[in-house]
Amino acid sequence: MSQEQSVQLTVDGREVSVPAGSTIMEAVRKLGEIEVPHFCWHPGLSVAGVCRFCMVKIEGVPKLQIACNTEVREGMAVDTIAADVKEAHKWALEFHLINHPLDCPICDQAGECELQNYYMKVGKYTSQMDEDKVLKPKALDVGDTLVLDTERCILCSRCVRFEDEITKTSTLGIFNRGDRAVIGTFPDRRIQHNYSYNLADICPVGAFTAKDFRFQCRVWFLKESESICPGCSTGCNVKVFQNGNSREYFRLKPLENPEVNGHWMCDYGRTQFEHLNVKDRLVSPLGADNSALSWSDAAARFGELVKSQAGADNGKVALVLTPQHTNEEFSAIFSHLKSQLGREPEVFVWREATEERDSFDGILFRGDRNPNTRGLEDTLKELGVSAKECSGLKDVGLSQAQLAVVLGPEVERAYPSLETDLAVLREMPAVVYFGNHRSQAAAGLSLRVPTLVFTEKEGTYVNHAGLKQTLKANARVMPSLKSLTEFLGGA
Amino acid sequence: MAVVNVTRNPEKSLKNGYLATSLVGLGTTLKTFTKQLFRLEESNTVQWPEVEYKYSDRFKGAHFLTKRPDGKVRCTACFLCATNCPAQCITIVAGESPDKGVEKYPVRFEIDILRCVFCGYCEEACPVDAIRMGHEYSMAGLAEDKWVYTKDYLLNREAITQTLGEKQVSEKDENVKHDSVESGLPGIHRK
Repeated sequence: MSQEQSVQLTVDGREVSVPAGSTIMEAVRKLGEIEVPHFCWHPGLSVAGVCRFCMVKIEGVPKLQIACNTEVREGMAVDTIAADVKEAHKWALEFHLINHPLDCPICDQAGECELQNYYMKVGKYTSQMDEDKVLKPKALDVGDTLVLDTERCILCSRCVRFEDEITKTSTLGIFNRGDRAVIGTFPDRRIQHNYSYNLADICPVGAFTAKDFRFQCRVWFLKESESICPGCSTGCNVKVFQNGNSREYFRLKPLENPEVNGHWMCDYGRTQFEHLNVKDRLVSPLGADNSALSWSDAAARFGELVKSQAGADNGKVALVLTPQHTNEEFSAIFSHLKSQLGREPEVFVWREATEERDSFDGILFRGDRNPNTRGLEDTLKELGVSAKECSGLKDVGLSQAQLAVVLGPEVERAYPSLETDLAVLREMPAVVYFGNHRSQAAAGLSLRVPTLVFTEKEGTYVNHAGLKQTLKANARVMPSLKSLTEFLGGA
Repeated sequence: MAVVNVTRNPEKSLKNGYLATSLVGLGTTLKTFTKQLFRLEESNTVQWPEVEYKYSDRFKGAHFLTKRPDGKVRCTACFLCATNCPAQCITIVAGESPDKGVEKYPVRFEIDILRCVFCGYCEEACPVDAIRMGHEYSMAGLAEDKWVYTKDYLLNREAITQTLGEKQVSEKDENVKHDSVESGLPGIHRK
């Protein structure tokens, strides 16, 4: 039997065909409509079959089988809703809850906890357990990003498998036996890699909680929206979590996309919500003396600056772009300058001087810390512009320009030598700087205009492999903010 | 819709009408007034504010926070009261407790009392008996008064500590502090 052969089976009377060698769980997942409750099975990890929760009934097989580790056979008839299957789920949950502390009020996972959710769906509700619970260590510091609560753990071993298979760091193991078994780190080891927050994600209960989100906000106050991580050129698909009332962003989580990031994302990417919140944002245009300008004044001043350089004989105008904005914004600002000046501005692509552009950690994280390097290249090619790519702004011939229009980096952390580059800009006669940070780094430039961040705009990012991905816009953190195109429309 | 037929019977009007019943009512008033004037009957009204009326224990007045036996706040900052509050008047900021056996506690716990509708849902939602509604009901004040009750005010205001005393300490089983469990395993320790 070759691997390509497909197998027909029925699940609850619904027909599905999957490749030979698949498990019942994969068949059920392909079908989509039915859910077999599970803890230890994770689509991105190997099969462990330890939680014994995903019991299903197979016609002709005397006992219930686990869906995650049973291979499909031709003509197999699987039943996920039989009375004895439901009874098995109830009892499996009862056993998982024997030593679970039920400290949901102080647990950050509450609200998105698989144990809680399944309990509401298929739980037994009246426990028959009379013994005292086994007490285990709580709130352990196991790494720079994670806190471990061994009491809440249901020993599904997802985290152990993640460390063994994905990051290959093997920091975690299961120690002791029976009801004293705990998850823990090996002697003198800590969870220290760039993918540690994934452990908090895949943990079906609140055993691993993220330090940066711990006690910050209950999850039921958060609204999630889909977006693309601006951290590097991989362009991982992410879910962004924002408090619906205060519009404050709290965290990023990976969104499954087998073409880009699979199920994971890196810790550097997880921090990409920090520049989104209003306390760090530039919210109104600023003049040279750091005084706030109205949007119409700023647009008028920008228009004047550009008009003064119009005409063929006038001085050089530089358009400095960073690969951190969308294709649409690049072409909008280029076309605007071209039409206003009556000629093409000289285009510079500003890259970080210290970047290791081609480095790659083998999982997801790339040295190119810009989400849209390919998109900028493609857009410039489409516009027929030959741009000068420069690492850092020193000695690139900017000083001869009379006016520089700079689309600054959205994530300033990706530009560690930002300060020296801005010093170059400060020596120029006129600079219009588009940026979203409140920081004083860009102070002293002729005009600073706030831009939107990746969660607030529609547009296209092209990742390192040339895959086009579109951004969806959330509500702006300050309603008064204007997008680049809206600003240029008023100029 | 039901129809009621009213016949204009002058005899009945005199008997059941406005003037007759008014006089009957006035008679009752005069009778009670005279009785109470000569102290023949106890008065039902209270001379507030000199005399305070004692409501039953179920009365839902101004909130207070209960304490653990060691005097610390019992609240675990689970946000269930804030989630359940129909007026959205509860603001909590949670933090890591310095007490290792407690883990999570409210750094800030504030009730905007002007928004509060005294429905008692917070009390009902609380899984650990940390917030209760007391019997204070005269909460009027001037505009410049503090209308946001802070954690300290909810825990330690005189009206509560004096009238409740030991009753402010909750002895319920839930959320009792337990000593941290140390493990003999290498690498597993509390920081």
